[in-house]
Amino acid sequence: MAEVVDGEFTAFVHERGETLLRIAYALAGSQHGAEDLLQNALAKAYARWPRIRGDAEPYVKRILYHDQVSRWRRRSHRAEVSVAVLPERAAERDLGQDSDLRLLLRDALRQLPPRQRAVLILRYLEDLSVEETAAALGCRPGTVASQTSRALAKLRELVPALDELTTFQEVPR
Amino acid sequence: MSAKTEEALRAAVRDLADEARSAPELAGRALRRGRSLRRRRRVIAAGAALAAAAVLAGPFVWLRPDPPAGPARWAAPPGTATPSPTGPAAAPPPAPDWTRSPLALPGGWVLTGASSTGTPAELGYALDRSRGRYVTSRYEETWAAPRGGVAAVVDYERRGELGLLDLGTGKVRWVTVGSFIMTPHWSPDGRRLALTLMSKDSGAFSLGVLTVGTAEYRAFPVDGERYLCTDQCFFTWSRDGKEVALQQTDPGAALSESQPHPRRGVQFFAPDDGRPTRFLPVKGDPDGPWSWSPDGRSVVVKGPDGPRLTEVATGRTIGPAPATDAAWVADDRLLYRDRRANEMVLVDLDGRELTRQALPPALGADTTLAVAPR
Repeated sequence: MAEVVDGEFTAFVHERGETLLRIAYALAGSQHGAEDLLQNALAKAYARWPRIRGDAEPYVKRILYHDQVSRWRRRSHRAEVSVAVLPERAAERDLGQDSDLRLLLRDALRQLPPRQRAVLILRYLEDLSVEETAAALGCRPGTVASQTSRALAKLRELVPALDELTTFQEVPR
Repeated sequence: MSAKTEEALRAAVRDLADEARSAPELAGRALRRGRSLRRRRRVIAAGAALAAAAVLAGPFVWLRPDPPAGPARWAAPPGTATPSPTGPAAAPPPAPDWTRSPLALPGGWVLTGASSTGTPAELGYALDRSRGRYVTSRYEETWAAPRGGVAAVVDYERRGELGLLDLGTGKVRWVTVGSFIMTPHWSPDGRRLALTLMSKDSGAFSLGVLTVGTAEYRAFPVDGERYLCTDQCFFTWSRDGKEVALQQTDPGAALSESQPHPRRGVQFFAPDDGRPTRFLPVKGDPDGPWSWSPDGRSVVVKGPDGPRLTEVATGRTIGPAPATDAAWVADDRLLYRDRRANEMVLVDLDGRELTRQALPPALGADTTLAVAPR
């Protein structure tokens, strides 16, 4: 029995590990953090494999996001830590240079609080709707909208060039 | 959000994800960690015998049976406190085996526990007053009560349930409480827990009250239109434990999602039947029962621009506070945690430091502390 479980689990990780690692990386923002986040989620999946084997990938993703939000909860009780070096501001850049904007945005994403980043990743990496994102995070759609809005406000603060792409429009609660 | 913004965001998120490099031995390492996790659960499921051994080994260690908040929590001070002219008195640092006796805090208070929040869970601690020592637990969250022999524990794999950990036996009684948000809040007498429940469908709040002695659990819906709360919302106890409070959003104010929502005051409810009782014009979020001064005249709240001291009757801001979760230990004394120094600090209302007490290194900045009168 144990060999069957090990075999199924190993096959699952070989097949889906890279995809899950990409999500974990986007959540954690670093290779080390991503591997730790994913290892933890996979270990939990293995420990209860007989019960989740048909639903393993959604299970692992839920753990990834849940752990990420947990970290946010833990950090919400701490003083804000200032960033030693601010990202380069893009106000004077040529907006036609999309790759520059993407680069700045990518760096700014790393500075978002974990929960806000988690919401953006669910919405824009996994292409989930607001309702699906709320279900995955165990919160209400209004919270997803407000977190998205806060994330955007922070990104605009860090990358002013983002503002120049569009007319500002708040995400409704 | 415009299509262009969305497109740029989508591309940036994918760029970030694309930075991930292959992880060698992913399956093998996960297998090893998973086996270790499963072994631990099995050993723990064996239960009582191990628990008995742990009791003898001391400090008491209750590991989670299947797969770790409280009255007052501490945050970093904004730096408003100033040393008294003679300098604060420094209490001796705790011994390495600090878990073997109650850790006394300045002002005649005591550390009742500490919680990890998140996974992998760090050790949580809860003071077993009857034995005069701390019990440790490995649940994702461990919320020590101000009094009594029970701690509330949270297991992230048991959604909708809250565990009541008997500090004497190590047994956990799981109670189905529904989908609660934020953290459970203990009444000052340690007999009841207030939970903030939120309906995923409607977004409506309910007050959940769990009576520890009987495990009786009741939920009372709150009229969300009349008692509007947005942003961070959570029920907390009054200092006398007779009511619970919910912060109220100012419906007439402009709301920005990048700022805390402006408050119009705090609404109290009766924990016995959920009935609304009274309203106070306190424009901020109280953290728990110890946020209210013993004489009931002042309260420490999280305001829109940081922790502030507020006059209860009028809602007038008296001045800044050292931390949003500073505890009133007397009518003229506040106790808070200096996270950078990892020390508890007793200050007077002028911000002068009176005493400092070092905390054990095991209680890192990521842990949330619970304190209570000794």
